[in-house]
Amino acid sequence: MNKLTGPPEERVTAHHTAMIEIIKVAKSYPPNVTALADISLTIASGEMFFLIGKSGAGKTTLLKLLCNMEKPSNGLIEIAGMNIHQVTGNKLAKLRQKVGMAYQDFRLLTNRTVAENIAISMEVSYKKPQIIQDRVRNLLAQLQLEDKHDILTGDLSRGEQQRVALARAVANSPTLILVDEPTGNLDAASTEQVMDLLARCNHSGATVIVVTHDEAIYRHTRHRVMKLDNGRIAGLTQGSSSGQPLTAGDQDDAENMDKGGELP
Amino acid sequence: MNFWFAVIRQTGRNLRQTWTTQLITCLTVSLSVLIFSFFYLIYLNMLSVGNKLSDNLHLVVYLEDEPGPEMQEQLRLKITQFDQVEAIRFISREEAYHRFAQQLGDNREILTDMPRDFLPASIEVVPLRTLRSLRQVKLFSEYLATLPGSQKVQYGQQWVERFYSFIQLLSIIVLLSGSLLILTATFMVASTIRLTIFGRQEELELLKLVGATNNYIRTPFLLEGLLQGFGGALLGLIALYSLFQWTTHHISGVGFFNLFSFTFFPFSTISTIILLSILLCAVGSYASMQKFLRV
Ligand SMILES: Nc1ncnc2c1ncn2[C@@H]1O[C@H](COP(=O)(O)OP(=O)(O)O)[C@@H](O)[C@H]1O
Ligand SMILES: [Mg+2]
Repeated sequence: MNKLTGPPEERVTAHHTAMIEIIKVAKSYPPNVTALADISLTIASGEMFFLIGKSGAGKTTLLKLLCNMEKPSNGLIEIAGMNIHQVTGNKLAKLRQKVGMAYQDFRLLTNRTVAENIAISMEVSYKKPQIIQDRVRNLLAQLQLEDKHDILTGDLSRGEQQRVALARAVANSPTLILVDEPTGNLDAASTEQVMDLLARCNHSGATVIVVTHDEAIYRHTRHRVMKLDNGRIAGLTQGSSSGQPLTAGDQDDAENMDKGGELP
Repeated sequence: MNFWFAVIRQTGRNLRQTWTTQLITCLTVSLSVLIFSFFYLIYLNMLSVGNKLSDNLHLVVYLEDEPGPEMQEQLRLKITQFDQVEAIRFISREEAYHRFAQQLGDNREILTDMPRDFLPASIEVVPLRTLRSLRQVKLFSEYLATLPGSQKVQYGQQWVERFYSFIQLLSIIVLLSGSLLILTATFMVASTIRLTIFGRQEELELLKLVGATNNYIRTPFLLEGLLQGFGGALLGLIALYSLFQWTTHHISGVGFFNLFSFTFFPFSTISTIILLSILLCAVGSYASMQKFLRV
């Protein structure tokens, strides 16, 4: 039984195992752009993980590899024990339903309403309309976007679009949440709402990876922070294990991951 | 919520978003169904008219001499060698005289001076009441002319030949309009679906990313095709039926047409046409999906 499709109880008890295994992964784009080189990393089930680095460092590329939008040029990526780049067809669809990604460029359907955009990720797993509706309202309330329910996403500000994209990513209660610079266009109050929402998802068992530029978000975090530079791992903090029951896997994998780098 | 609910909702969404294109496609399909079924209906009715007319069709072979019983048997054998026939009757000179007299009715006294055997003996051949025998009637008459003792062969040459070529023309038109139906149904639907696919590239891409199964993405397009086929056929047939009602109502007073009763398609034909249209449209949308929907 893998953790992606297993019931929640099993996910919690299985949090010692890795959710993501990245083994010697490289990614280059034609003609000769090396976006990622020799990345090895393990992220535990239920962990919250921050990914930082300069623009062009390869952060988005790493997320795209994790959600199977791109294939690695080299190396292996396993999610819940599955080599995701060998999965196809309905199995791939099932896997993607359990991986929620908030894209840097949002990828909203601008001619659809906010509610419809968020509903999409639940409709593909055939949730009941009533459940979808409730979940959409609930998420909009958490992000203080209740009044935007029936607005076309094309008419929203970038900050609002960003939050709708996030809501869509988490709506289907995925076990792995990937968010690409979720607070880039937000003020401090909205940023806090977004981070609260992600923390709640994390607390209910989801593994969350956050790509960010915003130092305020990760400076005082007790979670691990990894810095990418030029496609390589330039630093990985250990994080504090206190009050962090879901990342107990850290210790086992310490040798693997700890590049010993200090963050700036 | 199950798969079908989701798929039907998705289909409804598609239709709402692109209803003008959908409507035009549906109307095109219905127009070609109308054209096809219009000619097919005429063809079927003409066939039944032909059957009625051929009820009266018979060939008369005038003979030089009255055949004895042995000769009659030989002639009968020769005739049935060519084709099966409905009936063969031998008319003696005597019988011919009586018939003629009967036909003359009150004027029969003009016959009083005539010898009783002035009319030739003849064979009446009634061909089978099929279109094939109608088509062959000319060949048949040529064959009958070669029978021993045959003088002359008569039948309603003019109308039989004309009517036959009319029916032949009709069957060609039916075939042509049938091909038109096949082409429009498949190609129109295929191009509509292609347009929708291109117009919704972004959404389809996203659906894949959030984990929609191939079936979830494809089935709405297939349903769209089925609906086009069903709606188009239904609309076309309703139009044809109205046309049929109107026409039969307006020609019912006209003498010649009173001889025949025109009928609409039986239910089995109606369902066949609808099913055919659905099938063609489904093929069209499937082809388009295969080509343009990369899932
Ligand atoms: N589709 C692509 N084709 C070519 N080069 C790309 C593509 N996507 C990203 N890159 C390059 O890969 C590098 C890493 O990009 P990216 O992962 O988007 O960086 P980040 O998200 O950290 O800003 C950059 O140099 C970028 O130009
Ligand atoms: Mg990026």
